[in-house]
Amino acid sequence: MARFDTLNTAWMVWDNPAPAPEGAVLEYTRELEKFLAEIERRAFRMAQVALRDPDDALDVVQDAMLKLTRSYASRPSAEWRPLFYRILENGIRDLQRRRTVRKRVMTWLPGPKEDPDNEAQDPLDNVADSGPTIPEKLMQGQAMEQLEESLRALPARQREAFMLRNFEGMDVAETASAMACSEGSVKTHYSRAVHALRERLGEVW
Amino acid sequence: MSEKNNDAFETRSRALFQDSVDGLDMRIRSRLTQARNAALEAASARRRPWLFGWKMWAPAAGVTAAAILGVGLWIGSPIGHQAATVAESNLEDLDLVAATDEGSADAMEMLQDDIDFYEFADKAANSGPAA
Repeated sequence: MARFDTLNTAWMVWDNPAPAPEGAVLEYTRELEKFLAEIERRAFRMAQVALRDPDDALDVVQDAMLKLTRSYASRPSAEWRPLFYRILENGIRDLQRRRTVRKRVMTWLPGPKEDPDNEAQDPLDNVADSGPTIPEKLMQGQAMEQLEESLRALPARQREAFMLRNFEGMDVAETASAMACSEGSVKTHYSRAVHALRERLGEVW
Repeated sequence: MSEKNNDAFETRSRALFQDSVDGLDMRIRSRLTQARNAALEAASARRRPWLFGWKMWAPAAGVTAAAILGVGLWIGSPIGHQAATVAESNLEDLDLVAATDEGSADAMEMLQDDIDFYEFADKAANSGPAA
């Protein structure tokens, strides 16, 4: 620890710390920004595969970014990726759960009355599950669309294992950390996912 | 389904996914950048109040520590000891008076009879070390 000739000197250093810690914070923030920039597009596409709707996908990705930076930024950077995808998947499931509840509630409510003067009267018209709303421009062709549809038909854990292992390129240990399960479970989910997808898509795909 | 076909399937699906990522339009890219900046800004904003609070409370903590130290030194000093002893003996006198029967004037008379002695004793106590 530095020694000071006078009390005043000590107080001046106390009030204006040396630039080293600030530099460290900057470096830390830069690293976090680099990580998010590298991951955000793939994360968005994965969320979109699960949710269909691009706005919902953007929301869950933004939420995951916020939660990671607020709560886990101080963790070692090697842990960020599995943590981020765990948060993202939780967000996706929460949204899917809310959609399911909303659908159930809406079936109990009387349907909206016809009102030709008010075209935007039914907000459920914009709900993603109401039909295929994948923007064509985001797709890379018929094959990707088929793959996405098949992924949506999978159980959530299988879809998650397939996307993290195949799309994100995580190894088994990282995937297990992101999914909060054992490595054996990851292998099982992934193997079943590949089998189901290939069966659904057929040999010609 | 062979392992080789599985590999081909995995490679193809990965390539298709990567193409779709590369083909994201500018609107989505821009919104992702905004989301990232917002997250980083929120993280910085969260750090700032803590830093501000730390700087703000540092002088107060210093004053409090100095006050505690001062009280400790005062109690440990001879002046502090003397003050504590005088206070203690006064309390003992009060106990003595209070311990006698209520309504009895004996206690007060005892104090008044020997008032000169008490004056002398008081002066002797304050004049210096005992003989």
